Amino acid sequence: MNSLVYTDAHQSQVRRLIPDLIRSRQLLFDLVWKDIRIRYRYALMGFLWAVLEPLIMMAVLTFVFSFVFQIRSTVGGGPRETAVTILVGLIAWQFFSNAVSSATNSLIDNRSLVTKVNFPREVIPLSSVGIAFVNLIIGGILILVLYSALLLKIPGQMIVFVPVVFAIQFTLVIGLGLLFSCWNARFRDVGYMVNASILFGFYATPIFYEPAFVLERLTDRGWENLYPLFFVNPMAGIITSYRELLFNNTLPSVNLLLWPTICAIGVLVLGVISFRRQAPTLSDRL
Amino acid sequence: MPPIIEVQNITKTFQARTGTRVLLGKGGIKDKLAGVKSDSFNALENIDFNVDGGESLGIIGSNGSGKSTLLKLIAGVTVPTEGTINVYGRVASLLELGAGFHPMLTGRENVFLNAGILGMRHKQVEAVFDEIVEFSGIGKFIEQPVDTYSSGMYVRIAFAVAAYTNPDIFLIDEVLSVGDEEFQRRCRRRIGELMEQGKTIVFVSHDLGIVNSLCERVILLSQGKMILRDTTSKAIDFYLRQIGDDKGLHTLHCGDLETIQCNGRISIFYKQEELTPASGLQFQVFYMGQWHNSIDADWEMSERSDTRCVARGNWSKLQTTIVWTIENKENKVIWSVDLECENPTSFEQFETNVHLPQEYVQWIYDDESGTFPEIQTDDTAWQVVTSPELICENAAALPSGDEGVPLQINIEKHRPNARGCWVNSDFMTGCRIFQIREQLGHESIELPAGTTELLSLELEVHDSRDSFDQMLGEKSARHTVQSGDLRARFDRGRLRLSFKDQQLTAGLHGYASLFINNLWNDSLNLRWESYEEEGAKKRFTGESRRFPYALIWEIAPAEDNAVKMNLYLEAHEDIQIQEFHTSLLLDTNYAEWSTDHESGTFPELTPEAQDWQHLNHQYDQGISGTASGEGQPKIYLTVDQDSPDARFTILNTSYHENARVVQALTTPEHGVISFPKGRHPYFSGVIRVG
Repeated sequence: MNSLVYTDAHQSQVRRLIPDLIRSRQLLFDLVWKDIRIRYRYALMGFLWAVLEPLIMMAVLTFVFSFVFQIRSTVGGGPRETAVTILVGLIAWQFFSNAVSSATNSLIDNRSLVTKVNFPREVIPLSSVGIAFVNLIIGGILILVLYSALLLKIPGQMIVFVPVVFAIQFTLVIGLGLLFSCWNARFRDVGYMVNASILFGFYATPIFYEPAFVLERLTDRGWENLYPLFFVNPMAGIITSYRELLFNNTLPSVNLLLWPTICAIGVLVLGVISFRRQAPTLSDRL
Repeated sequence: MPPIIEVQNITKTFQARTGTRVLLGKGGIKDKLAGVKSDSFNALENIDFNVDGGESLGIIGSNGSGKSTLLKLIAGVTVPTEGTINVYGRVASLLELGAGFHPMLTGRENVFLNAGILGMRHKQVEAVFDEIVEFSGIGKFIEQPVDTYSSGMYVRIAFAVAAYTNPDIFLIDEVLSVGDEEFQRRCRRRIGELMEQGKTIVFVSHDLGIVNSLCERVILLSQGKMILRDTTSKAIDFYLRQIGDDKGLHTLHCGDLETIQCNGRISIFYKQEELTPASGLQFQVFYMGQWHNSIDADWEMSERSDTRCVARGNWSKLQTTIVWTIENKENKVIWSVDLECENPTSFEQFETNVHLPQEYVQWIYDDESGTFPEIQTDDTAWQVVTSPELICENAAALPSGDEGVPLQINIEKHRPNARGCWVNSDFMTGCRIFQIREQLGHESIELPAGTTELLSLELEVHDSRDSFDQMLGEKSARHTVQSGDLRARFDRGRLRLSFKDQQLTAGLHGYASLFINNLWNDSLNLRWESYEEEGAKKRFTGESRRFPYALIWEIAPAEDNAVKMNLYLEAHEDIQIQEFHTSLLLDTNYAEWSTDHESGTFPELTPEAQDWQHLNHQYDQGISGTASGEGQPKIYLTVDQDSPDARFTILNTSYHENARVVQALTTPEHGVISFPKGRHPYFSGVIRVG
């Protein structure tokens, strides 16, 4: 018999998460596909926008920060190096911020589904990360193209460790997505807080500058002891690690990734447990 | 069958919404710290029941009684606060059709996505994809984005997906009230198929008619409590009587009759038995491509007493209010329908349906009667039993044997173009329906702003067959003139002739028509209201609605098998008539004709005959026209010497009207015939048979 049995206690059990997700994998991919298709369907240039958006952003940021504010990359100092450095930070950050903010609102945006049909609720925040992931892949290709075009070289062999760093970032994103989405269903304040934090995070994360720049400014004032606080933001360590791998061809130090890893696992556990607990009654709150 | 849904003593409590009150105010953190309990209410309380596999269960109750919450719990969308629900099988919920449909995706993409949400694999969808498309009737639009669909198409494709996902349990919430009639029928048929396949169906609606026809058992909820779980008819009966505090609900009593108006549906009970199953008495209008049913309106009672009530149902979308006046008398229910439009509105159709149980086997409409055909299990559409005729005053239905009571429907008031007929419903509904419908081809029906009277029906119950037969006899005696074996019955401007109970006339029967201002004015379009009797002579007066005149028909028996007709024109002011005639439309068994000058045979009527066809050639003045045929008594239409110069014409009607015509026509050589104000005889003649 292919029928499935469910009882009311089902959705809240953490141990059923993995089987539930395996069962719903097709739905997960369908929803991701849906997002991708509708995102670009009526745009004349279609997918091109996924490329153009980060490029334009990079051009603007490079112009503003490297010409107007005179921030220089440590890689070589030229505007071309600055541009690529900014692009790496930007693509990584955009994946993070887009994924977290769309996951946070995903349950509310998909209210009509959640309040009408029974399926593992995790599918919704997870699928909402999909579009950000597609943009990330396009961005990654863009980085490689610009890297070789502007710097006239290719990244070293340490590039193979990029997926490891990404795994940490991905775990963090999923954890935050689950955590925020379920709480946002309950208290809409969460959504606003996430938006504000992302805005703050854009400046507090080394995107258009590098950590060395922060250290320099702190040292100027004699506050260099505060420098580790900068790395409380796990995205600081993650983006710095990407740059180490791509530009210096060196493995990032354990110090740099230890905290982000702890954060990622912690947030994931918290997110999964919170979400599972609230899942059965989510539809009452939407 | 083991239970497929087990609902074990569940309670569902909702907390008051927090939102801005989370920090301050009632139910907020401040109160929580102070130990004040937050607001909560029980949407459902201690509900306990099982649903067996293959059962179809209806859930009824007024708004806010917890129906939808219960359905959501079964769907697993949310969980009970206390108690458990076990569901053994895959559930397809039609809680809202097209959940997850995205307007920018094509029909095909949405079908796959939606089916995926309902738990189907792509391979399974592919297997039924063609059936889904066919059922929905979307055709090539399936490749178009759904935001180009009409709302009807949207619903159709959404229902099709849900109906073909092959779940074990179907949850249906009010979805059958969407789409056009044809599609609703298809939905019902599909639901019927699913029931036959042994699927379990849980159905929520406040349309008792649909619940009645689809469900075997019903759960009645009121304010979150399960009041009753019983067979459908008992539960509906109970619902109608007990949940009586609704603002659109009122019960009338008189003698053995009890009438309940419940939000746009009227149910009549006779000696505690419901006379009006399924949708009861209902009224609907077709407006802007959609049916609007009286049960969709927002009802309230504006006047109530034990024997009379006035209910007002507002269709907010149409800016129109239905006003029902219901009066309960000894053995009679009088139901009047008026429409109050805020602005001049054009409707496409009006339809009134009186549903009666299948136990009624014989119908009477006008002079005719017959038995209803059996409703077959594969009947998914309504079948017309009698062709829609211009309204005549009475219709009745008789039960078989001694079961049940004869029911008579008198049409007291109606609009001139309304037509009535008896209809068999589809198998699911299983009803005999008396339908009154007004539809003017492709033209719309314009109603002015303000109140328009549409209809007034009197439903009369006869306690026995005898009293019914006696009533029929008396009623027709008032309008009937008998001479030997010839019987002439006057029926609103038509004279129906029969000889030894054999109908001689057909269609328009014997009627008269005046040609004024290039318009033919038929006698049956007059307002026949007055009736007098002078010995054996009957006098009927009909006022014209268009021109300032009335016709007075005097009908009296003459020597054996003959009826004398004297027709007068009462001109209220000077009137000019171009020509006029008095005609008999005869059964097609009449094969030969003759006039004073010639004779011939009636040719067969062929489908090509769109118009009436003249058969004779000499139109000189004459005094009689006759027709005869095998098995038919010879019939003579003779004019008196003092009747204005008549010429006899013989015609065949159009194929559609299917009759022979013997006509006395008066047509001036030049110009018009002027009638000054006053009364003038204009036709005087005899109809003789044999």
